[in-house]
Amino acid sequence: MSFTGGHGGVSASGGRFFRAAMLLPGTFAAFVLILFSLALVLFLAFRSNDGSLLGGGATLANFAAVATDPLYVMVALRSLAIAGLVTLATVVSAWPVAYLLAFHAGRHRSLLLFLVTLPFWTSYLLRVFAWKIVLAYNGVLNSALVGTGILSEPSLAFLNTPAAVVLTLAHAYAPFAILPIFVALDSMPKSLFEAASDLGAGAFATFRRVVLPYSMPGVLSGALVVFVPTVGDFVTPSLVGGPRSVMVGSLIQAQFGKANDWPFGAALAVSVMALIIALILIVRRVDRRFGSRR
Amino acid sequence: MRFTTGNKANKALGCALIAALSSTAGIAHADGKLTYFTWSGYELPEFSQSYLAAHPDSVDISVFGDDDDAFTKVKAGFHPDLAHPCYDKIARWNKEGLLQPIDTSRIKNWDKIFPTFRNLPDIKAGDGKVWMVPWDWGNTSVLYRTDLVKNPEQSWNLLWDQQYAGRMATIDAVHDTPLVAAIMAGVNPFDMSDSDLEKVAAKLREQRPLMSTYTTDMTSVEQSLASGELVAAMTWNASAVALKKQGVPVEFMKPKEGMLTWTCGYVMLKDAKNVDLAYDFINSRLEADSGKHLIEDYGYGSSTSTAFAAVPKETLESLELPSNPDEMLKTTIFTGPMKQNDELAKMFEKVKAGG
Repeated sequence: MSFTGGHGGVSASGGRFFRAAMLLPGTFAAFVLILFSLALVLFLAFRSNDGSLLGGGATLANFAAVATDPLYVMVALRSLAIAGLVTLATVVSAWPVAYLLAFHAGRHRSLLLFLVTLPFWTSYLLRVFAWKIVLAYNGVLNSALVGTGILSEPSLAFLNTPAAVVLTLAHAYAPFAILPIFVALDSMPKSLFEAASDLGAGAFATFRRVVLPYSMPGVLSGALVVFVPTVGDFVTPSLVGGPRSVMVGSLIQAQFGKANDWPFGAALAVSVMALIIALILIVRRVDRRFGSRR
Repeated sequence: MRFTTGNKANKALGCALIAALSSTAGIAHADGKLTYFTWSGYELPEFSQSYLAAHPDSVDISVFGDDDDAFTKVKAGFHPDLAHPCYDKIARWNKEGLLQPIDTSRIKNWDKIFPTFRNLPDIKAGDGKVWMVPWDWGNTSVLYRTDLVKNPEQSWNLLWDQQYAGRMATIDAVHDTPLVAAIMAGVNPFDMSDSDLEKVAAKLREQRPLMSTYTTDMTSVEQSLASGELVAAMTWNASAVALKKQGVPVEFMKPKEGMLTWTCGYVMLKDAKNVDLAYDFINSRLEADSGKHLIEDYGYGSSTSTAFAAVPKETLESLELPSNPDEMLKTTIFTGPMKQNDELAKMFEKVKAGG
């Protein structure tokens, strides 16, 4: 964040004071709540666990354990795979909704936007439990399938599987993908449609060469906003995932809880952060190279 | 981030903000309410009626699902006046310097507590003082559907039975699942060598693909047993009592290796603000009426003989609860402190994640 120069018309000292006041909450949050906590995690990651709050003695053993035990690599890959599937599912299902909102919602647009955000009026946990009710052994889905004769007995294949985690998270994060894609599409000049058809493009060509590229910044920012928090999620996998979908967030949480090894938990957290930062950098590279922003 | 202007104003506002924050922090604990941190389910008002009559609306309760999680929460700076861990954890809490001794001369019904519990080695603080006042005891075993699991061998081995893969669950706590795995692996759960630990890990790995979930959420487990999604699960007595009350055909197994018997109780945190209220609270919970509710509602044992005397004999028989814990302990395994608790916890987490 940087701040250079002001606008004319406001007296210099008043403008300064106003600017300082505007920056204060952000500064406070950034330094005290974010940077300090991150520094603490980073510090802890290089300590050995002697049961005390801040650990004792500097060591690299935590990172050595993360790097050498194949379990942590496997769980990290599993988390990336699940978060990747969630992102894919969210973006693919969000795109048509955003398109509809941007071009075909007409006078119902504000109502539809309101409906998109409606699930957010309830607690996240409540939404997870709602999915539990849908997917459970004697739940809505199983009852419907047995009732219509498609299944002869309820299936165990819905709940406590990685698929349940993907479904639940994709639903929970849908608005985070819909809104940026909607904003991107909404800013598209409608005259581009006319220009495309003037130049002889059919519906599909228009979609592929005009609308889709135009929405890409929204798609990418939506994907990032969905992907980053889902990699570290631990509540949803523990509620609907079963043992096959333990994600890295659960492992980190366990180190700070039951396992009582904060330095190791911190090292895991730092490793995951590094992994996510690396991924974001790659995505940005790809984005620049293949030019969605022009 | 770069600042070019407004340093003075910045400082002034910063000071004001810090002042505002510290003033709200100051009043947070001055309301004279007892804070009590306990197992979910132990927060019910029936258990502390006389306290609530004497001090209406003066207890704040937070709950946990596992006392290892509770331990790290307290260690990290959550400071209730009273907490309710189980006996096997007392030495650990103590070692961390979290507790202050409780004076038994201020506990009215101390003498009514069964000697077995009063004389537990880790609770003794010397000089008529204790680190924990025992309140409840109970068993951990396999709860199974009698209609879906026909005449199983009375053994913990049911939780390793391939034919029920995906239809069983177990408790996500070190002093339950890994302890049983240790028994099944033939090692001493309370003191193990590294190679013992590896045997326990192998046993737990063998079990993982068969489990639909590892959880401390007993309500979900009970619902899944009732619906038939699960056919067997490791639970505590309370789940057996709850499901039998609903008419679900279940049986709480008596494994030939022995059920686990545990006891838990009140500890006072070192910097407890409301010590007098805490004593009143413990006293109210040791009244016969409180223990009677514990026995009748949950099927757990009370730590006092007076509570047992208040419960009709037929009720105890239907709960299969002997009125003296020593009777029970003849056939069960007492959950004492596990020396390798932390190593076991770490290993259990790895196994659950697929390692």
